[in-house]
Amino acid sequence: MERRDFLKTLFATTGGIIIGPSILAACGGTTTTTSTGLIIGTPDLPVTLPLVGEPIADGLANEGGTIEILNWADYTNPEVIADFEKAFGVTVKQSIYDNEDAAIAKLRNGTLKPDLIIGMTDTALARLMAAELIQPLNHSYIPNKSNLITGLQSPYYDLGAQYTMAQFIYGNGIGYRRDRIDPSEIASQGNDAMWNSAYSGKLGVTDSARDIISLALFQAGITDVNTGDADILAAAQENLIRLRTNTSPKVDVLSYQEIPAGNRDIAYIWSGDILLAPFYLPEGTSADVLGFWYPEETITANDFLCIPKASAKPVAAHQFINYLLDNDVAAKNQSYVGYQPALTNVNAEALINAGAIPETLVDAVIDDAKYQAGKRIVSLTPEVDALWNDVWTTFTAG
Amino acid sequence: MNKAARLWAALAAPGAFWLLFFFAVPFYAVACVAFGTVDPIFRDAIPQWNPLNWSFGEFNAVFSSVTSGPLRGVFVRTIVYVVSAMIISFAIGFPVAYYLARHAGKRRMLLLLLIIAPFWVNYLMRMLAWVNLLSPSGLFSRFVGMFGVQYNWLDGSPITVILGLVYGYIPFLILPLYATLERLDWRLVEAARDLGATSRQAFRVVTVPMAKAGVAAAAILIALPMFGDYYTNDLLSRSPKTEMLGNQIDYYINSSSQPQRGAILVIMLSTLLLVALSWYLRSTSRVGKERVR
Repeated sequence: MERRDFLKTLFATTGGIIIGPSILAACGGTTTTTSTGLIIGTPDLPVTLPLVGEPIADGLANEGGTIEILNWADYTNPEVIADFEKAFGVTVKQSIYDNEDAAIAKLRNGTLKPDLIIGMTDTALARLMAAELIQPLNHSYIPNKSNLITGLQSPYYDLGAQYTMAQFIYGNGIGYRRDRIDPSEIASQGNDAMWNSAYSGKLGVTDSARDIISLALFQAGITDVNTGDADILAAAQENLIRLRTNTSPKVDVLSYQEIPAGNRDIAYIWSGDILLAPFYLPEGTSADVLGFWYPEETITANDFLCIPKASAKPVAAHQFINYLLDNDVAAKNQSYVGYQPALTNVNAEALINAGAIPETLVDAVIDDAKYQAGKRIVSLTPEVDALWNDVWTTFTAG
Repeated sequence: MNKAARLWAALAAPGAFWLLFFFAVPFYAVACVAFGTVDPIFRDAIPQWNPLNWSFGEFNAVFSSVTSGPLRGVFVRTIVYVVSAMIISFAIGFPVAYYLARHAGKRRMLLLLLIIAPFWVNYLMRMLAWVNLLSPSGLFSRFVGMFGVQYNWLDGSPITVILGLVYGYIPFLILPLYATLERLDWRLVEAARDLGATSRQAFRVVTVPMAKAGVAAAAILIALPMFGDYYTNDLLSRSPKTEMLGNQIDYYINSSSQPQRGAILVIMLSTLLLVALSWYLRSTSRVGKERVR
């Protein structure tokens, strides 16, 4: 099927939105029939992606040999990989990526030919689908799918999880040192804490334009985190400049190290980062010094596992997906990666009982209700994206 | 042209062509990205190879940002940081190069080796080591703390970034300076002293003019990488207060959907450096002519 036909079929058969170059991709956004668009599901307009190609047949034996996975750095516990190799008689070779767009470009031009991709998000899914880079999954190989939280067994971006299986889940909030900032102080301030000049020089924000501009929007009482309204974005820009002036923030992705090391007192971060922080505490420091405040309005997200169309070892790839969704394996994986598996049974109680996280971080654990209540970031059109980039550049340019 | 000159010209031609080709082709590719478009789906740059179809809309937007928008501060800050780092580098590096060239004697090679040795270690590793030393609980911070200096070096401090640049690039200043000073005809300095010049006058009137080409070469050698540097700031600061042009180029190319803006900034920076390079070439050619005379 040609991409043009594929997109036409999609538009005719799904409730999703097809986002063209000139159309804003937003929750409840506009639809278009352009043949050059992206297919983007939103919680309000979920999509059933049409099948391009067939899933592999049932009951096949794994291919053996080496299975290549494309992964973020340190995003799978080496012990989990070693256990899988032993149990399934294969060897796992990893390639690392640090940027979804760059990874997709390499998948498109054939530089990377993995059997399994770990850690892509729904904004990348639209591009993976448009380039026909991934294959439908055969769920008979993935019985552990039922371990996923309800909201991700059939996610809005891929109803029926035809191409993807969710893996890790996270939400944005404020991580802080409880031994330096009273938890009640954070609770009473909420997001305003990020503008509090008392924390100047000890505050950080995640180096992610979409997340931090969204923080500025939330702080202003705006919940449309995909807005293309230039006036609203200008207000967000002013808000961020005020944040910069008040607090001299660090803009990086190192808060998971800097907070436990004592170099930073407070940061607006992904919940997974604070769950990772206990591993970086100096010896002898109690994990109870770490705290997390979860906002009522925030962004929640997840990443997923998928199999490239060109995979030479699709059976082994399916088996690895299923293996990663096993409750015990996922818990073991969490103990290394820090991020929370999107599994019902790997919940706050389980993580605390296993000693993986202190009770003070219970709010950083995302359950099904929190996940579903969160706002979702979706792809923007180039024009709207340019507006967001301008806001971010103005903020980071000092 | 005589036979020998023709022979040397022929021998130099492949190398010259190689250098020209591998400067011109990538630079043209950068221009084609800068004046091209972006794939609306994959957000990759789509280079426009035909100059007749170049689009200047993004260039105007970036130029406007550089002249009166948020990028103006980044440009000015980058120039201030690089110039400051160069001044400090010369203040530290010139006496070292002068000592090595004139007074180090038998220890010259050993001292040169000692100066260069730390720089065999990867730049990233050296900067990460400094992150460790400069952290509030790091050795350096604790040491200066003993003398009452309480300063958070890693708190987005411009001083840290400038000193980081100095530390990172100073060997590239010392070595060409040393090479120039070592070849100077010191009899001219002695002649100046014999004619009644004080050592300071001899230095100002004889040594400095003779070392001008080396000074210019050293300045260019460290200025070029400093202007495009982004990792020093990334590792030692990561604060909007110290954002440099290299960081913006890195953002546009690696993390945004506007890679053409990164390419435009590269062209602007290259143009700025080309001016500096022209000055260097003019300066060295004038020194050459004076020597011939």
